[in-house]
Amino acid sequence: MVKIKKTRLKDFIDFVQQEYDVFAPTEVGKKTAFKKIDSAFEIIHDIVNTDRSPKEVFFPQSEVLFEYGKDGLKTPERKEKPIAVWGLRHCDTSSLTMLNKVFSDAHQMPDKDMFKDPYWKEKYDNSLIFNQACNTPLSTCFCHWFGRGPFDKTSSDIFVVDVDDVFLLEGISEKGKAFLAKYEKAEQATKEDEAKITELKRKAESFLAEKTDISELFEKIGKLWDEPIWEEISGKCVNCGACTFVCSTCHCFDVSDEGKKGKGKRIRLWDSCMFQLFTKEASGHNPRGISTQRVRQRFMHKYNYFMDNYGVHLCTGCGRCVQVCPVNLDVRELIKKVLDYKIS
Amino acid sequence: MQQLINQVKKILKAKEVDLVIGWGKGSLPFSATPVFIETEEDADKLIFDQTCRNNLTSYLTKDKRRLTKAYEKIGIIVKGCDSRSVVLYAVENQIKREDVVLIGVPCQGVFEKKKIAKLAEGKEVLEYKINGDNIILNGRDFESKYPLKDVLCDSCLTCQYPDAPEYDFFIGTPRKEVSIPEAYKIVEDFEKKSAEERWNYIKEEYSKCIRCYACRNVCPSCYCPECFVDQNDPQWIGKTPEVTDSIIFHLIRNLHIAGRCVDCGACVSACPVDLDLRVMSKKVEKEIKERFDYLAGIDINEKPAMATYCENEKQDFIMG
Repeated sequence: MVKIKKTRLKDFIDFVQQEYDVFAPTEVGKKTAFKKIDSAFEIIHDIVNTDRSPKEVFFPQSEVLFEYGKDGLKTPERKEKPIAVWGLRHCDTSSLTMLNKVFSDAHQMPDKDMFKDPYWKEKYDNSLIFNQACNTPLSTCFCHWFGRGPFDKTSSDIFVVDVDDVFLLEGISEKGKAFLAKYEKAEQATKEDEAKITELKRKAESFLAEKTDISELFEKIGKLWDEPIWEEISGKCVNCGACTFVCSTCHCFDVSDEGKKGKGKRIRLWDSCMFQLFTKEASGHNPRGISTQRVRQRFMHKYNYFMDNYGVHLCTGCGRCVQVCPVNLDVRELIKKVLDYKIS
Repeated sequence: MQQLINQVKKILKAKEVDLVIGWGKGSLPFSATPVFIETEEDADKLIFDQTCRNNLTSYLTKDKRRLTKAYEKIGIIVKGCDSRSVVLYAVENQIKREDVVLIGVPCQGVFEKKKIAKLAEGKEVLEYKINGDNIILNGRDFESKYPLKDVLCDSCLTCQYPDAPEYDFFIGTPRKEVSIPEAYKIVEDFEKKSAEERWNYIKEEYSKCIRCYACRNVCPSCYCPECFVDQNDPQWIGKTPEVTDSIIFHLIRNLHIAGRCVDCGACVSACPVDLDLRVMSKKVEKEIKERFDYLAGIDINEKPAMATYCENEKQDFIMG
């Protein structure tokens, strides 16, 4: 483990930038999001969850898949440097691994290479992920429900802890270790520095609200498809879709052609299962025409279908949806309701 | 509060209504949550305070109606802006006035949690206390005091009708129209800008839009079964958050709610990227007021500005 003085962070980020484009929590408009930064001074260090989730770093809200014209198709060539992301909390780091399953893990497909998404892979596979310990979880955080925690180190390249006036850095993956070894200006961390991590971790965990045991969630929610519970839950939802847009794991998209005479481009853009149009078919039929069906879909996908397909819940407990929902449809209460529900 | 609960129990018991839509305590310190009350026992869940942000009337319109049962008569608890939405629905033939029972509550303005978050500068506020004209915010290791008006919705700060102009029961005594000297200040400031400055402002503001349509989806006045942005045959506008398309979306939405917006502020509160949505909606409201002497949702017997025609209306925008 090495340490870098906060006052020397710019030098370290400059070093990272020689090889990578660095994305970090910064101000965008009146909100915070992970955006490409020019200098370390733009980074906001003390926010827990950015308003917008980091999925947009690798899965932008709109992305050109190809351009077409009379002379055929042209796939955009990525000219930028690979991506490094600084300041991800563990919930967000794990959300990227979930999206990676969607875009890269074709384990259920007959031809494993057929369904790998080149646009995602090119960015994510070559990235450098800095996973920063979360010193002050919020009251809306529930990562611990899913067996994760604010100081988890998994799924990243380099683990970072913000301690007093330094950042402690530990290489986790081979890539991360090799990268850190190249930065010669870092000092070795002392035993005292490392001891502080234990104290910070204990303090962070004490901030987490009461844990709900969700070991039965997958099976239980799977039995509720036809139950009236969905009417009760969806009653107040106004289908605004804000939850799906700020969610770090929601990844449904639409494909749209924007063309002028003779040429155009095909664009992939975020969509939301909360919208009626999402499932409206060309015939006019809509299998999820009413709100209740759409709300059920969203939560079944998160806590049942995804688990079925990939062995993990499609939710990290980051709490962004809890914060933005205009009608306070709190997903933690929904989970408790599902677990307590008596099947008729 | 008890008076409200008793009133709701009374009308449920007398079967004057078979459902009451109101607010209950939410899971976050500044968010009440909509509750649907069918029984007298459930009425104890009702609250009314400054966390009761939502305009619940959107649950009444046909397309946004989430209620799965067919209720004969619905009671709904309304602040001033909410009751104006009900009037809007009635004059636009979306509901029959006699099918709903309006229970007015005295509104002191509701909290804008975005303002609270901004004041707390990134720290999490876990509790609050009201102390006279001030609010005291408490977090893990801080306590700070602010004037109450600094945490209220912008709509509430210029609200002329805090208490329901239209109601069947009122908890307490309703105030009549409140005079607000600078009700259109944000519009006037905007109008003072040069055309170029205004255009730059619009471009800059709407370039932040992520086109999630939360503003439209929470808007009580936006109840079209299919919005023009969702139509794809023909497709009217591009779907990406490209600024020109976002501007078209917002400006057309503004025109669609001209003379229909009740300034409840639901769009402002719901916007996940904090767009300044109110300058344009207030601008349109002011235009309609000046040209047609009409304000949405006030008089249930008056025809909506955009649904009627008068020969002596100003026509300078056409002729001049």
